Order: sequence, then structure tokens, then C-alpha cells
Amino acid sequence: MTVPTEHLLILAGILFAIGVGGFCLRRNLIVVLMSVELMLNAANLTFIAGSRHHSALGDPALDGALFAIFVIVVAAVEAAVGLALVIALYRRKQTVSLDSLDELGD
Amino acid sequence: MANLLFYLMALGAVIGSLGVVSAKNPIASVLSLLGTFFCLATIYLLSGFEFLAAAQILVYGGAVMVLFLFVVMLLNLGSEEGEGSPLEFVRRRGAPIAVATSVGLVVLTFVGILGAPEVRAAEFVAAAPASFEDIATLLFGSFLLPFEVVSILLLAAAIAVIVLAKRERGTAVAPTGEATK
Repeated sequence: MTVPTEHLLILAGILFAIGVGGFCLRRNLIVVLMSVELMLNAANLTFIAGSRHHSALGDPALDGALFAIFVIVVAAVEAAVGLALVIALYRRKQTVSLDSLDELGD
Repeated sequence: MANLLFYLMALGAVIGSLGVVSAKNPIASVLSLLGTFFCLATIYLLSGFEFLAAAQILVYGGAVMVLFLFVVMLLNLGSEEGEGSPLEFVRRRGAPIAVATSVGLVVLTFVGILGAPEVRAAEFVAAAPASFEDIATLLFGSFLLPFEVVSILLLAAAIAVIVLAKRERGTAVAPTGEATK
């Protein structure tokens, strides 16, 4: 009796939706970056669910897992560059609120 | 048993991610996200992808979250209403955080012991867990090009971060000469 693949996909969908919500609603740049990480993790979970779905006994399907590894690497790069931008912004404006970024607007 | 653990971890991941987006204090968000990552790592472990679970904890739980925590602490970010610095938050909520961390570690140990390959294969995954050998063969075989591209990406990111974090010329704080000599 195994957990059906659908349940993993539903979990991934819920996590992605929460991430999108945080990305759109929060004004703190660091929390926005964390929401992006949450979305990337939801994507990872769908890769894992697919890989698990296509695995047979003694013959694991690893393509999804390898994609997830690459996603983890890219997410780490994203976090590093994003946080460097946050620090550069803080030096200039003394805040990390997105409301303070309106140079391109007017 | 493994099924029950999956649903518990799924619940933990959802609660943790809700905490990330709803917490007033950024440091609470960081700690909730850490909890979510641990729950997801447990799910990966249950699914038979041991290497991925390890990478999740090492790279996400270790490196990325420490980076986030470091920036929150460095910039001394409180809640959006302007009260409660990170240190104050940790001092006030230290006990619950410690309890949550301990419980998380116990669960992970529990999964590690319970998740002996035979049990897991029978109960949760359809496949035997993927061995490191299989992953290495694939990674350095048909995935060699993406692997090399990722190494260039990491190099580019390292250079970008150095350029971004470098103090601009002219805005450098004057060295405190005598005091440090």
C-alpha cells in the first residue's frame, strides 16, 4: 500500500500556491526571496513524484532526481545573488521594503 | 507506518510554508522555511532518493538558510512594524525553537532507522532506493553537459556576488588606522 503519486503532486501544488501568495503579498524583499525558494522546492517535489512514479522495483528512474539536484544548485546561486542584491540595496536605501523601489516607475 | 510519516511531513511542510509567508518577523520566516526543508527532505528520503535528501539538508538547510539567517542578522531586520530585532526574537522564543529543532532531528533519525531499504521499498516506494553509483553514472554520463554548464553558472555567480557586494569607490569607510595598528 503506497501513497499515490497524486498526493505528492497535490502537496507540491499547495506549496507552490503558498509561495506565489507570499511572493505577491509580502513587501519584505527577504521574505519574497524565501517565497521563491519555496516555489523551487515545490517544483523539486513534482520532479521527485515523477521519478518515483516511473521507478520499478530494482530499476529506479533517476532523471527526475538529477533534475532536482540541478534545481537545488540553481536555487543556491539564486539565493546568493539575490541576497547580495539585498545587501547592496540596504546600503543605498537603509531598507529592504519593496515599496521603496520606485525609480523605474516614474 | 511510512505512509503515516509521509502525511505528517506533508502537514509539517504546509504549516511551515504558511509560517514563511505569514510571519511578521523575518527570522521566524527563515526558521519556518528551514522546517519546511527538513519535512521535504524526509519525503525525499521516504521516496528512496537518499542522495537528494542529503543534498537538500546540506545545501538548503545548511548553506542557503545560513545565508538567509546571516543577512537577516546582519541587517538587523525586525518585523515590518519596526519592533523586535532578530536577537530579541531569539531570546524571547528560544525554548520553542530549540524544542522544534530537537523534534525535527528525532523524526529524521527515526526515518533513517525505520527507512531500512526493505521496509521502505515495501511500504512507500515502488523501487529499491537509488544507489550513489547509479546517480554518479548518470551524472557523469548522459548529464555531463548540464553538469559542466552548472559549474560555469557557479563561477559566474561567484564573480557577480563579489562585484555586487564590493563597496563602491568613494563610499568606503575611512580605516580606523591607529586603533587597529
